[in-house]
Amino acid sequence: MSTPTAPDAIYRNDEGLGIWEHRGKVAAVGVGHAPTSRRWDGRPETCVGAITIDALRKAIDDAGVAPNQIDGLVVVPVTTTGAFWEQGKPLPMDVIQSFNQTDDPLDGVAKLSAEWLLANMPELTNVQFTMYGPGCMSNALNVTAQAVGDGLTHTCLVVKSWHNFEGRYYQGGANAGDAIPGTPAITQLWGGPASYSTALQFAEYCRKYGKNHEMMAPFMENSRRNGLMFPEGYWAQHRPEKLLPEDYLASRWIAKPANLFDNDIPIMMSGAYLFSTSERAQDMKQKPVYILNHASSNTRPRSLLPTLDEVEADTARTARKIYEGAGITADDLSFENMYDGFSLFHQFHLEGLGYRGIKFGEALDFYQTDISIEGPNPVSPSGGNVGSGRSRVWMHTDCIQQLQGRAGPRQVTGVKPEVGVSGGPMPLGGNFTVWSASPD
Amino acid sequence: MDMVRLVRDKGFLIGSCSDRTLSGQRAIWAEHDIEVDFVVAKHMLPDVKAKFEADTYLHIGDREDLDRQYALKAGFDFLWPDEAVAHPHFKPED
Repeated sequence: MSTPTAPDAIYRNDEGLGIWEHRGKVAAVGVGHAPTSRRWDGRPETCVGAITIDALRKAIDDAGVAPNQIDGLVVVPVTTTGAFWEQGKPLPMDVIQSFNQTDDPLDGVAKLSAEWLLANMPELTNVQFTMYGPGCMSNALNVTAQAVGDGLTHTCLVVKSWHNFEGRYYQGGANAGDAIPGTPAITQLWGGPASYSTALQFAEYCRKYGKNHEMMAPFMENSRRNGLMFPEGYWAQHRPEKLLPEDYLASRWIAKPANLFDNDIPIMMSGAYLFSTSERAQDMKQKPVYILNHASSNTRPRSLLPTLDEVEADTARTARKIYEGAGITADDLSFENMYDGFSLFHQFHLEGLGYRGIKFGEALDFYQTDISIEGPNPVSPSGGNVGSGRSRVWMHTDCIQQLQGRAGPRQVTGVKPEVGVSGGPMPLGGNFTVWSASPD
Repeated sequence: MDMVRLVRDKGFLIGSCSDRTLSGQRAIWAEHDIEVDFVVAKHMLPDVKAKFEADTYLHIGDREDLDRQYALKAGFDFLWPDEAVAHPHFKPED
């Protein structure tokens, strides 16, 4: 079996598509997370392949589905954005030989293929459909939802994992060479930290609206608080430390006005879900969470970096797509779990959505009000990457758990959890999912 | 922590300088019942030097880019952990 990358046609990129044809007919049921760690310790049982198998098996068990009932697998094949196996570094043969291998020796160590997973999960005997969702769980979720809706698979696993090696993030791979091929040769011309484009947009945002970086502190404190109530997350598992305003504001700049805590901490993690048709989901172990819509942004900026004007236009456009396909309005959102890694663009997503009626330039003032899970306007109840480490997954897990009533101490109490939205990563270029406790 | 207690008892001014949160650093010291003179973020060694008058300023760290370079730039001497263990400062007085 050769696994294709999802075709463009699977995504809902455009406005005017109307209600999603599979609205309420696809459901998420099972959730599985592997234990997190800061970096890989070199053991076979903790490599990215192993933790992915762990997460997948937990999702299967959580849904109460027999493995031979699963007929689909959607995988994000890339497992890092900045921690690459150093060229010339000896391969970890003891780890590689601990698993059934593919043609790529780093499969399961520094990347993931569907073939590697199937070769090492013999219980998945009936998988007929595999597909790659590039980049993020947000993308893979769109692929999975559409594939189940289209009948390409009826019981489908979807997984995103991250590895993290020793060494400085983003300083290996292509960045370590003397030349960078393709578009990044232009977009990364100045060699700035990854957050610098977001920092530039945020600086312009502050100038335009008369805001400042200090106004981010309540959001950061709230996100870490929520993260510390997320037992699957890195900070909760390893360093249960609050992020008080004093802590946040004392931190050093990485790309001013983005400081250390505005940049999410890279970790090892794996998160998996089991999706099915709404009909089949009725017989599974957990309460189904229905997908009302998925929507994507594939907008290209006009120049090297998106300007604030482009960001605002596109987040508004994305919101219109989200609402149109789901048949809802901003008023229907019980909570939002838009992406936050980097924290300084969460407000762009929030304002684009018009969450709780806020308009462009108002989110930082909104952060000064009650945005806790106990209040009427919960912001990022997952805590996102700020709260649990770099994954781009927590926001989705939280939506499912909130709507299933399984978010534990993180459960929103100020509103009835009925409809949530999650997705990212970037304000220009992302994939989004609308989740609901009911199919209607 | 025993090393820190030893130099504390010898009269050194001590503290921590880290990317860990200020509240997190304080929590670690409190957990070990060690009273420190300062707790600062990674880039604030110059503030420490400005605040405290001392004969020598010494930073112990384990990163070239984030510890040694910052320390030297701020006018501190620098020791790697293994060098610190062997340094006379951290030996009991006879």
